[in-house]
Amino acid sequence: MLKLSKEAMLGLVLIALFLLMSIIAPGFLDSYNLSNMMFQLPELGILALGMMVVILTAGIDLSITYTASFSGVIAALCMSHHYPIAVAIGIGIAVALLCGLLNGFFIAIIGVSPILVTLGSMVLFEGVILTITKGNAISGFPDAFGQIGNMSIGPIPLPVIVFLVLAVITATLLNRTIWGRSVYKVGINPVAARFSGLHVKRVLLGVYLFSAFMASIAAIIMISRYNSAKVDLGSSYLLLTVSAAVLGGTEISGGYGKVKGTVYAVAIFQVLSNGLNLLGIPRTVVDILMGVILIAVLTLNYVSAKMSARKSLKVSAG
Amino acid sequence: MESLLRMSNISKTYPGVKALDQVQLAIKPGEVHALIGENGAGKSTLMKILVGVENPDEGAEIHFAGEKIRLSKPIEATLKGISMIYQDLSLFPNLSVAENICIGTESAAKGYARVKWKPMKARAEKALAELGLKVDVSLPLEKLSIAKQQLVAIARSLVFDSKLIVMDEPTSSLSSGEVEQLYKIIEDLRNRGISIIYISHKLKELFAVADRFTVLRDGKFVGSYDKEDMDEDKLIALMVGREVDVINREENAGGEEVLRVEGLSKKGNFKDISFSLRAGEIVGITGLVGAGRTELAQALFGLNKPDSGQIYVAGKKVNIRTSSDAVKHKMAYIPESRQTQGLFLRQSITDNISVTVFGKMLNKFKLIDRSKEQKLASEYIQILDVRPPIAGMNAGQLSGGNQQKVVIAKWLSTEPRILIIDEPTNGIDIGAKTEIHKLLRRLTNKGIGIIVISSELPEVLAVSDRILVMRRGRISGEIAASEATQEMIMNLAVLGTKAGGSK
Amino acid sequence: MKSVFKSKEIGILSVLLFLCIILSVNNPVFLTADNIQDIFKANAILAILAMGMTLVIITGGIDVSVAAITSAATVITGHLMKVLPDSPLSVAAAFAIAILSGLLLGLINGTLIAKTKIPPIVATLGTMSIINGSVLYFTNGVYLNSSNFPKAFIRFADFKIAGISILIYLIALVTLITWYVMKYTMIGRSVFAIGGNPVSAVRAGIHLERTQLFVYGYMGFLAGIAALAQMVYTKSVDPNGMLGFELTVISAVVIGGANILGGNGSVWGTLIGVVLLGVMQNGLILSHVDTYWQKVIVGAVILTAVSYDFLRRKRMESKLLKVEVEA
Repeated sequence: MLKLSKEAMLGLVLIALFLLMSIIAPGFLDSYNLSNMMFQLPELGILALGMMVVILTAGIDLSITYTASFSGVIAALCMSHHYPIAVAIGIGIAVALLCGLLNGFFIAIIGVSPILVTLGSMVLFEGVILTITKGNAISGFPDAFGQIGNMSIGPIPLPVIVFLVLAVITATLLNRTIWGRSVYKVGINPVAARFSGLHVKRVLLGVYLFSAFMASIAAIIMISRYNSAKVDLGSSYLLLTVSAAVLGGTEISGGYGKVKGTVYAVAIFQVLSNGLNLLGIPRTVVDILMGVILIAVLTLNYVSAKMSARKSLKVSAG
Repeated sequence: MESLLRMSNISKTYPGVKALDQVQLAIKPGEVHALIGENGAGKSTLMKILVGVENPDEGAEIHFAGEKIRLSKPIEATLKGISMIYQDLSLFPNLSVAENICIGTESAAKGYARVKWKPMKARAEKALAELGLKVDVSLPLEKLSIAKQQLVAIARSLVFDSKLIVMDEPTSSLSSGEVEQLYKIIEDLRNRGISIIYISHKLKELFAVADRFTVLRDGKFVGSYDKEDMDEDKLIALMVGREVDVINREENAGGEEVLRVEGLSKKGNFKDISFSLRAGEIVGITGLVGAGRTELAQALFGLNKPDSGQIYVAGKKVNIRTSSDAVKHKMAYIPESRQTQGLFLRQSITDNISVTVFGKMLNKFKLIDRSKEQKLASEYIQILDVRPPIAGMNAGQLSGGNQQKVVIAKWLSTEPRILIIDEPTNGIDIGAKTEIHKLLRRLTNKGIGIIVISSELPEVLAVSDRILVMRRGRISGEIAASEATQEMIMNLAVLGTKAGGSK
Repeated sequence: MKSVFKSKEIGILSVLLFLCIILSVNNPVFLTADNIQDIFKANAILAILAMGMTLVIITGGIDVSVAAITSAATVITGHLMKVLPDSPLSVAAAFAIAILSGLLLGLINGTLIAKTKIPPIVATLGTMSIINGSVLYFTNGVYLNSSNFPKAFIRFADFKIAGISILIYLIALVTLITWYVMKYTMIGRSVFAIGGNPVSAVRAGIHLERTQLFVYGYMGFLAGIAALAQMVYTKSVDPNGMLGFELTVISAVVIGGANILGGNGSVWGTLIGVVLLGVMQNGLILSHVDTYWQKVIVGAVILTAVSYDFLRRKRMESKLLKVEVEA
């Protein structure tokens, strides 16, 4: 029997869905629509990659969207004070890394559970941003900055290129570097990782710095596209990033997950929401479907695991 | 006299290991019955079957109080009158003392019913009073000392009118005064007609409390004996058996000193440990469970920071604060528990082997080169004869012996000068055991200094050049392997002297 | 009282008292009966939901769908009330509907977690997405206001006993019921047992699945009551009004001293956590500090509280000696 990996299955689902939408959704294949989809996808995609890496270590980063917002707001403020674009972006990234460092300090060094730390830092970052912006949007960026989120190179939007490059980098980091390999090991068995001489604390710290970095890149793309930065920048993406990672096959208890899977999951989400939108089905239905798919996939996992356990029991008994 | 409990034809097979092989056990009413054997002899498995945590293989028969029983849940055993006091007590630190005693009884109520605190507390107080303990039973259990928590566990079995109480290493965390108290309580329970199965490694203790002994060895029933016909030496001989697997080897005086430890101490772990290890030498460290051996090994490897003392590697004083420091000093540590400490069960053999040498797997772009990993893995699969020799197979699917080979491989690939191996053949089949022993001897030819920590005396005798015995956190003696006997080691481990303990 | 407030609760209680003293010195308005009543009224929904969340967290689980369930219950009940006649019976019907819909949704969570073994955070994330989506789909985000409700309901909402709003009685009722369940029923004690030591719990004959089902069902039941409290307080139904509120609920419980890994937590601790959040918000408003600062402070409080708690536990563990070393 042909056995497909989780990721290959998702890839097939994506292709099938794309074909289905091309047939049933009017204007789905229009170049305008395709480019529209491509412009939207990277924001969630980049955040989801950051979240995925955290989940690989059996953690979670609830502060990821406010880290993005924080970094975006600071970069925006810098630009509204006429700093050069590159400097503003640099400062934005630095702010995010500081946020990641804060999370990493509490989680890796002190050892507090990630969900609590990032819940606390999420509220904290939100508060700091509100205090800085008084809840107002910051806008007035140089025209050149707007290009980042809105220009295309050939038919491909720049954000998509950034996303794909980041996806390749993430995959390379995870599969081909000592840090990335250690991320999986820490997720599977932190004790064995420590007993194998790995620097578990450094690995964890790196994970939260990584998610913060991804948040800042997503933030730059978002403020460039919207031409403004506000406290709720990207905040609606928070739980979607977790869903995307889990749908993409990443196990919430850590240790397993692939970049490919997350990318497919994000793309499935994009195709589904865009296609249904073209069909005149409200966005809310997409949310419902996402939830249904999430639960259905996990229920299927459970059922199939139970069936294979029963099978192996029979084999050993017989 | 009619037996209260009769277990016969009890076998238990785990994938790859036969933990119990046609074992029998008979307990009379009102006796204290010691169940003894080395680590892995099958005592715990037998007790787990008795209380319904594990199911035995086909053909097992258990009779209790004149009735044939087959239990599938521990609560069924409790309700029938068989209580188990686990080594870790298995209580609820966050619940009140009263609940810990009464949970599952009628006075604690069931389902959505009301908890009757008053009668429950009264019941708990009464049970504790019978054991001579007076505490506020509404306190959460975690406020009590371990000794008192143990009395709580015993009180729980009184509340269920148990006819048989199993105590698994009940003194492992008690002070000597508390142990005396426990003996008195056991005496009382016996006088009330309650039978007790008492599991312990501490022979002295067994002679103080037990009326009869049943000895298990390698999952097999050796025999049941009355106290009158027994002494410590005989018991030790029965436990360890006579067959020591002989390995042809040359005496090895060792080469250069690779490791020296001076006055290493850590509060509550070990005290004043000094010894040295030479290249090509195997030093065995043995002693009872809880003597501090594993704590010492982990301290050497940077996993358990000592309070004082020095460690010298190849003559130089070193400061080992983390496991990666230890790896830098060419040390390797193979932990006691393969599955939870040694392996990434969900990853392939290749991934498990390369984890310690990621740094050597890099290509010129500083990226891990998959082909180097695969080459490394197939090399070690061949050297150590891992079966099946499939590098992509998950470590979790291998048998115990082959899993151990993978852990050994992951550390050999670091080309260590010092190898510390904790319980090298824990839960491994006899055949695979000998193979691993031979492998350890072979490694000494490469000039590796090896520390073998083991509770299995035949193993220590078979592989070591020198043997250090630990007792209650200290080294109680050192013996050259050529003159060591199991009795000598056991005496050092139990009594702290080489001479026999019995008259 | 010693058994009611354990040492951990004393810690946050003293923080709360300290805060209250500063605030009442700074601003005489703070200590007025009206202001105190306002604090409780404004945080009634938080208090009710936090009680349920305490149970969930004691079992070692989490429920991020509470805000969604509460919204769903307000929407269902609100739309039903549009067609209900002006009669006291309608209020009773509203109660029944709100509670039933909350309970049902909670039991769905419970089933997914207990029977299908989906990790609580993922299961409730999924149901949250489904419920929020459905609520917005069916309502299109349309707001209902007091003109849509039967007059009897408005009268009920304004109802006071001895000058105290019905909301306060609701908080008291829910707190007492939860306290009773946790202290005096076997199922409540099973919640603690499972969180304290799941292996021993099963050995002692406690049903893991049934207890989980109960916990998430009860959470849903309280979400139904919170939905009513929400309608009583705002006299409106805002399908978007509760987005993100689940995290506030979790914060309150965690500040109240519950252990996110399970086993520990109490009704009183949670109540103090809720009041602390409420008083901070109120105090900042009274002191004319930007409300924005509140989030900064809450975030800092959460981080401090959880790190302190964690370090305390770690120190306790390291005190347990492993080997009895011969002197």
